Amino acid sequence: MLNRRPAPVRQQPPQSSDGLLLDVRNLKTYFHVMDGVVKAVDGVDLRLAPGSTLGIVGESGSGKSVTALTMMRLLEIPPAEVADGEIWFDGRDLLTLTDEEMRGVRGNDIAMIFQEPMTSLNPVFTVGFQIAEAVRQHQHVSKKEAWNRAIEAVRLVGMSAPERRVKQYPHELSGGMRQRVMIAMALSSNPKLLIADEPTTALDVTIQAQILELIRDLQQRTDTALMLITHDLSVVAETVQHIAVMYAGRVVETGKVDDVLLSPQHPYTQGLLSSIPGEKKRGKELSAIKGVVPNPFRMPVGCKFQPRCPFQWSRCEEEPGLIEIGGPERRSRCWLQAPEETARREAYEVAAMATVADVVG
Amino acid sequence: MSSVDPMTPAGTASEAPAGIPGAVPASGNGHSDDEILVDIRHLKKYFPIQGGLLRRRIGQVYAVDDVSLEIRRGETLGLVGESGCGKTTLGRTVIRLLPATDGQVLFEGKDVASLEGRALKKMRRRMQIIFQDPVSSLNPRMPVSDIIGEGLLAQADHQNGWGKRSVRDKRVGDYLESVGLRREYSRRYPHEFSGGQRQRIGIARALALEPDFIVCDEPVSALDVSIQSQIINLLVDLRERFGLTYLFVAHNLSVIEYISDRVGVMYLGKLVELADVEELYRHPRHPYTIALLSAVPHPDPRIRKKRLVLAGDVPSPANPPSGCRFHTRCWLRERLGNPENCETIDPEFRDIGNGHRVACHWAEQITDAGVAELVPHLALARELRRQEALAAASAVAPQPAQEAPVSARPEEKVAVTASQEAATQLPEDGSVPPASEEPVPASDESARPMAEGSS
Repeated sequence: MLNRRPAPVRQQPPQSSDGLLLDVRNLKTYFHVMDGVVKAVDGVDLRLAPGSTLGIVGESGSGKSVTALTMMRLLEIPPAEVADGEIWFDGRDLLTLTDEEMRGVRGNDIAMIFQEPMTSLNPVFTVGFQIAEAVRQHQHVSKKEAWNRAIEAVRLVGMSAPERRVKQYPHELSGGMRQRVMIAMALSSNPKLLIADEPTTALDVTIQAQILELIRDLQQRTDTALMLITHDLSVVAETVQHIAVMYAGRVVETGKVDDVLLSPQHPYTQGLLSSIPGEKKRGKELSAIKGVVPNPFRMPVGCKFQPRCPFQWSRCEEEPGLIEIGGPERRSRCWLQAPEETARREAYEVAAMATVADVVG
Repeated sequence: MSSVDPMTPAGTASEAPAGIPGAVPASGNGHSDDEILVDIRHLKKYFPIQGGLLRRRIGQVYAVDDVSLEIRRGETLGLVGESGCGKTTLGRTVIRLLPATDGQVLFEGKDVASLEGRALKKMRRRMQIIFQDPVSSLNPRMPVSDIIGEGLLAQADHQNGWGKRSVRDKRVGDYLESVGLRREYSRRYPHEFSGGQRQRIGIARALALEPDFIVCDEPVSALDVSIQSQIINLLVDLRERFGLTYLFVAHNLSVIEYISDRVGVMYLGKLVELADVEELYRHPRHPYTIALLSAVPHPDPRIRKKRLVLAGDVPSPANPPSGCRFHTRCWLRERLGNPENCETIDPEFRDIGNGHRVACHWAEQITDAGVAELVPHLALARELRRQEALAAASAVAPQPAQEAPVSARPEEKVAVTASQEAATQLPEDGSVPPASEEPVPASDESARPMAEGSS
C-alpha cells in the first residue's frame, strides 16, 4: 500500500542537518479526490534535535496530522501523493526507503500514539500480548523476555499491579489507562522520536494532566525526542520547548514556546491565543477569528490567512515566506515581519501585547 | 427582513436589552431580580443495569443522586465535571427529556414531572436544549427548514399560526438570520454546512420556539478553537437579546468561567460545590474543584507548574464509594491524615457564606494561600505573587520595574484582603505561595538547541 517514490538515492543530506534528528524540508502531501487536489500539506519545514520537544499546533484541517502520517509513511498512495520534499531522519531520507526498510524505522526509531487509544488497540488480545508482540517485532528476544518487558513497560507508565494489568483486555481499561498502554507500547522499543497526535484530546482534564505529566516525565528520562500534535495552545505551553503553528498546510510561525506564546508574531497565533476564554475576558466579547478555514479547493491567493486577518492589506495578495525574526529559530509567515513594514508592525504589536496580557497577564 | 423585533419572546418578564454592542454580558445580568425560574429539589436519576437470562435488574447507575439547586431567571448557571459525573443527565432530566427517578423540578413553581398532555406540551416549548454534537443532532435527510420547522409544527396552534407553511418558513428564515446564517440556507441539508454552522442551526432550532430556558449541553466542545469563540459570542448575544436563562453544561473550565454567573461542580452524580463564578474561581473550597482547576493547562509557558494530579480514575457510578464519594481520590483527606468521617459520613451540602455551598467536611481547612500554591495560574495566585514581588522589590530598591513580567500594569495591583488574612493562618503543611513567579528558563538542561523552519 505504500509506494516507494522513485527518487534519486541520496545517502547524505545535501545541506547540513548536523546534529539534527529530524529535518523535514519543503514537504508537500496532496490528496487526489473526486473534486480535485487537496493540498493538505503544502511546503512544511520542521527541524528537531535529538531529545528535544516540538509542539505542532493548528486547527482541524491545518495539515498537522497529515504531516505526521507522511513522516510515518502511513498514508495510502494513491489517493495521497507526496508531491515534493525530503524527510531526513537520522541521516536517511525516509521518503526514499523501501517498504521493508521503513518497517524497521516505524515503531522502532519512530513511534506514534494517537488520539483514540481504543481504535489503536486490538480488542481480542490482552494488552500484555500486544505490547510483547510489538517488542518482538523490533527486538530479537524470546517470548518470555518480551512478556517481561511488557510488564516492565506497563510499570514504567505508572499502572498499578502491572502483572495483573498485562492480562487485561482493552475494554477492561479506562480511556486514560488505554492511553498509558499505548505509550508503554510506543516506548517499549526505545524510539528516538515519539509522535503524539492529540494524545489527550479524548480524555478528561484530570486524566489529561496525568498523561501529560507521564509523557513529560518519560521524555526526559528516556531522552526521546517528542513531537506533540495538538489544537490546544495550553497543552503545548507546558509540555514542549519549541512550537510550530500550522495553518492551511503551512507552518506560519515557529519559535521557542515562550517567545511564541508571550509575543506571537503572526496574526493567526494571536487570534488563537485571544480566543481562549477566561476570567479577564468576562464581560467583553471574545475576539473570535472571523470566518472559517478556507475551502481546500478555493485557497485564497497570497497569504492563506488573509481573508480572516484583521491586519490584511494589499501586500497580502503576494505570498509571504517564513521571515526570520532575530534568529533562524524564530520565524513568521507574515508581511508584518518584513523589515520595511515598521509602522504596521508596531500597530500589530500593540494589539498582540494586549492579547497576551489578557491571556497570561 | 433583517428585523428581529417580531421575535421578541412573548411572556418574558424582563425586557431584553436590545443587543447593545459591547454590553456587559455575564455578570450583572438578571441578578437584579432574584426570581427563581427553575428549582431543582433532591433530583435523582438512576439507570437500571440489567443482566442475566431474564434481564433482571442487577444494579443501578447513580447518574444523578440527590442534587438540589435553583436557577434564577436571566442567569447562566455553569455545570462542570468530568465525563460520567452526571452533568448531562442532570440537564436532560431537568427538561424532562429523561424521567426523574425521584425528586422535583419546579419550573416557575410548577412541577415538571406532574405535567401531562397539553400542559406538558406547552411547557416543553419553553424549555429547549442545544446538543453537543452538531452532526448527530441534525437529521441528515431533512432540509434545514424542516429541522427548525418541525418543532414549530408540533407546537402550532390558532394563535401562532405555525401550522401554515408560509408562517413557518418566514420564522425559520428570521431565526437563521439571528444566529448569523443566511435565510436562503433553509433549503440546504446538514452535510452542506461546517461544524460551526451546524451548531448555529441547532441553536436556531432551540430559539425558534421562544423558550425561556435553554440547556446548553457542551455546545462548543466539538468545535475548533476559533469557531468555539464565535459560538460562545453568539450564545451570549442571544441571551441578552431574548432574555434567556441558560443551564450551561461543559467540561471546559475556562469556557464556564467566561459565560457563567454561577457555577456548580459535579462529581459522581453529586453537586460538590456551588458558588458565584468569581467566588468559585478565586476561593474554591472543595478539594475536587481545586484539583480540577489545577489540572487545567494554562497558555502561560512561564507557569510550568507542579500539578495536583489526582490518582486513578473516577470510580464507577454504579458502585460509588461510601461516605464522601471523592474520598478515594482526595488529596486533602490524605494531608489531614485520613480522617474517618470522610469514609463514613456523606458530607452535607452546606452554605459557608455568600451562597457558597460545599459538600466537604473539611472545607474550612482550605485557605486561599493553599489554593494559590496548588493552582498557580489562578487570578488569586497571580495577585498574591505580584504583591509579594512588589513587597520584595520595594524592600530592596524603590523601583519595582523589571521584577514583574509582561503584565505588571498599575491598574492590576488589586489588593486581596481576604487572601492576605488567609496567608497568616496557614495549615501545617506549609502551603506558602511560591516566592515569585519563577519564569522557567527557556534553556534548561534538558533543552537542546534546535531550530525549525528552514526555508
